[in-house]
Amino acid sequence: MPDLATSTRAAPALAIAGLTYAYPNAGQPALRDVDLHLAPGEFALLAGRSACGKSTLLRAACGLVPHFHGGEIEGRIEVAGIDAIAEGPGELAAAVGYVAQDPETQVVSTTVAAEIELPLEMRGDPPSSRARAVEEVALALAIPHLLDRAVDTLSGGELQRVALAAALVTRPRLVLLDEPTSQLDPVAGDELIWLLRRLNEEWGVTILLAEHRLERCLAAADRVIAMASGSIAFDGRPRDFLTWAQEADQALETPAARLFSLAGIEPLPVGVRDARRTLASAECGGETSRTPSSLNFFGGAGSASPGRIDEKVQAVRRGSDSSSTTVVEVRDLWVELVPGDAPRDVLKGIDLDVHRGERVALMGRNGAGKSTLLKTVAGLIDPVRGKAECPADVALLTQNPGDYLVRERVGDELPGDAGLAALRLVGLEHAVDADPRDLSGGERQRLALAIALAGRMDGDEMPGVVALDEPTRGMDRARKADLVELIGDLAGRGAGLLVATHDVEFAAAFAERVVLLGDGVAIADGSADEVLSGGWYFATEVARVLDLPGVITPEQGATALSQSADFPFRSAMRNETQTQPPSEGGG
Amino acid sequence: MRSPFAYTPRQGPLQAASPAAAVAYLGALTACAFLYSSPIVLVATGLGLVLAGRLAGARAAVRAALWMGLTLAVLIVLVNALVVSRGETVLARLGEWPLLGQVDVTAEAIAAGAVLGLRAAVVMVAFAVYSACVDPDRVLRALRPLAGRSALTASLVSRLVPVAAADAVRLRDAALLRGPGAAPVGRAPLARRLLAGSLDRAVDVAATLELRGYSLEAPRAPGRLRAGLWGRKYFAPRSRHDRRFYLTGAAVLVAAIAGKLLGADAFVEYPAVEIGADPAVLAVSVAIALSGLAPLHRSPHRSRSVHRFGAQRAQTVHAGGAPRA
Repeated sequence: MPDLATSTRAAPALAIAGLTYAYPNAGQPALRDVDLHLAPGEFALLAGRSACGKSTLLRAACGLVPHFHGGEIEGRIEVAGIDAIAEGPGELAAAVGYVAQDPETQVVSTTVAAEIELPLEMRGDPPSSRARAVEEVALALAIPHLLDRAVDTLSGGELQRVALAAALVTRPRLVLLDEPTSQLDPVAGDELIWLLRRLNEEWGVTILLAEHRLERCLAAADRVIAMASGSIAFDGRPRDFLTWAQEADQALETPAARLFSLAGIEPLPVGVRDARRTLASAECGGETSRTPSSLNFFGGAGSASPGRIDEKVQAVRRGSDSSSTTVVEVRDLWVELVPGDAPRDVLKGIDLDVHRGERVALMGRNGAGKSTLLKTVAGLIDPVRGKAECPADVALLTQNPGDYLVRERVGDELPGDAGLAALRLVGLEHAVDADPRDLSGGERQRLALAIALAGRMDGDEMPGVVALDEPTRGMDRARKADLVELIGDLAGRGAGLLVATHDVEFAAAFAERVVLLGDGVAIADGSADEVLSGGWYFATEVARVLDLPGVITPEQGATALSQSADFPFRSAMRNETQTQPPSEGGG
Repeated sequence: MRSPFAYTPRQGPLQAASPAAAVAYLGALTACAFLYSSPIVLVATGLGLVLAGRLAGARAAVRAALWMGLTLAVLIVLVNALVVSRGETVLARLGEWPLLGQVDVTAEAIAAGAVLGLRAAVVMVAFAVYSACVDPDRVLRALRPLAGRSALTASLVSRLVPVAAADAVRLRDAALLRGPGAAPVGRAPLARRLLAGSLDRAVDVAATLELRGYSLEAPRAPGRLRAGLWGRKYFAPRSRHDRRFYLTGAAVLVAAIAGKLLGADAFVEYPAVEIGADPAVLAVSVAIALSGLAPLHRSPHRSRSVHRFGAQRAQTVHAGGAPRA
């Protein structure tokens, strides 16, 4: 008779059949008749708009649903042969690891080593095997230097790696990740995705990864599962997913796929490398095809109709009337903070001007000083040297919009005419009597922005500065497009927009200027087209595909492809084609 | 921003010592503060603790505790001076006060308040050094075999306290950032919001614990590490520094008790202040103050030949030429 270990190794990593689940007191199910089968060693990407059921599916796969959250459930869930509905998360802990969006809430110990060791200790492993497991997982995730650190001194990226280490230390067969890169900068986000791919390839760990920024991880995945309204709407290969998304939901398209779609090039690329190979293959007379009604790749004048989302983005990018009135003037700004034991200069001699109606993206790695600069401009932090002056008011929305919501009725947060005007500005005048907790995530964010703006408007004008700190965390593309539209509206009313973001595609959509910070110093300051097309990490996917100066959005790329008779990318592509044959899924 | 009292892992002997050894050492010094009323001994105890904290790298914690402790001491002196009218040396007659009656400020009441305040400050410094230097995870792991669930609850609380502190800072910032047209936020709504947020956090942390296997009834392994290639100090509850702290703590206690029995705690507040400063008091004080050197970290021994070679090499470079290989 086979023992448990043998039988679980033969079982699928995850098998879900007929799963329907509703949270307690919920009006409708969060999951509807879900069937899913993940074979051992697969790397699957879970895609879908916000609130489509991705997180609930992951929570069901690790046993939190229904054991921790309660509710009504039907169907079957098996994780490595263990019945996840009959057993609890504790019993599943050895077979499945779970990493949530916010690493801050999934760390329970004081030091990194203790945090990673905790699951083994709970399982009753002897100290010697605990020591070895912790050492090995730390080496695998390149965090041995963090083992003796206190968890509250770690950056977001480091904390996310520690959470992943704690999930992996029991060597689970299945790892579930819920938007693990949403708080990471592009560098740390890419590192995490490729780390997962390496764990998948070298350890054979099955990965189920929920993400909104698909361009970041599509190339690493073997399979994509797209959800809509609690059901699985698509399940197949990444390339087939792009074709499906083109028809079913353009909000799920990647920028490179959108570029190809607008330019009428097929097949749609799953990543940058794939896109470059396809373009090279097209030039060399390969099998790449062009749809008849599309833009002409090499110089024709076809037409493509961008969807509603792209229309919003394009309307904002066409620009506002920027005048020379300065609304933020920063000169030789030095700010010192005490993040750990010793004081550290977080900003080192920053100079920055923001003008009326200007939309500026503030970018840089985690810890580069973006949030500190915004807080200093808003007057929350005093500089040790230099000045940050704003002739008019500064409305700052910090990273957690929920911090602004302290009452149980929207109208109580924003009383009077000034409050109503702010609600009208963000399109929430209909929600005066609602409880903020009943609003969607995007509506809560707009309400928080209204609270920051209330009383700072002059009629329809917005004379000051509106600063947003990482406003797109956990947002799908449709909600980002709404935010881009709102930013354009505020800029049109005269506000200077200063937005700190890690999201390169979002910055490309709204910003006319990008300031790149590196370790407290402004290392680049120029037009968005210039800055976001001139790097590796802080560059859009389209910029990385085409490598053309000033081309950062799919629309710009499609136009460039259609108008350039002497396309400069061709020679580079020819060299790449000669050295590497096209592959099916590479990115 | 981190609290100055938050535990910070460092490479010092006090951090490396087992929680029991660290508690024995700091507990002995704290016991002195309760055993003695002599200001000389109390000041010596405070000096010892400040020295220990600084040598252990907990300067910020010691500074914050001194600031808070001395503020509290001043408050105690003020209250005692107003409430207690005993003593021969009247410094001021403040007349009849509501509830307090006749208020006479005496030098003796001030001295008695100062001793109480000094004791409070010393105890606060001791707890600050403990908080900043002793790993709470190791303390809770040591307690787990005795009361597993209680230790885990304490673990949760110890994790949620800094998280709640960070939440409070964020909420305060958000309250400051509200527009002038938004409803102002008082302390009560902020406190309610902080409480609600803490409950949400607690739910998230509880979910994480479920995922880590907390609900399993697994046997608790003893926390002893066998020597091996993979051993690191965080698995080893014992340290080579343990003996130092046990011995120092025991010595402090023996000296304190012996001194007490020999009458080294000569201090009288009323009717007139008398502070004994005989050799026994001074000896006990010096012994206690010197115990603060226990966390001293000796740098690795360097052989004389290596030192000489290094000096010669430095001279060669200083003379203008690159060192010869």
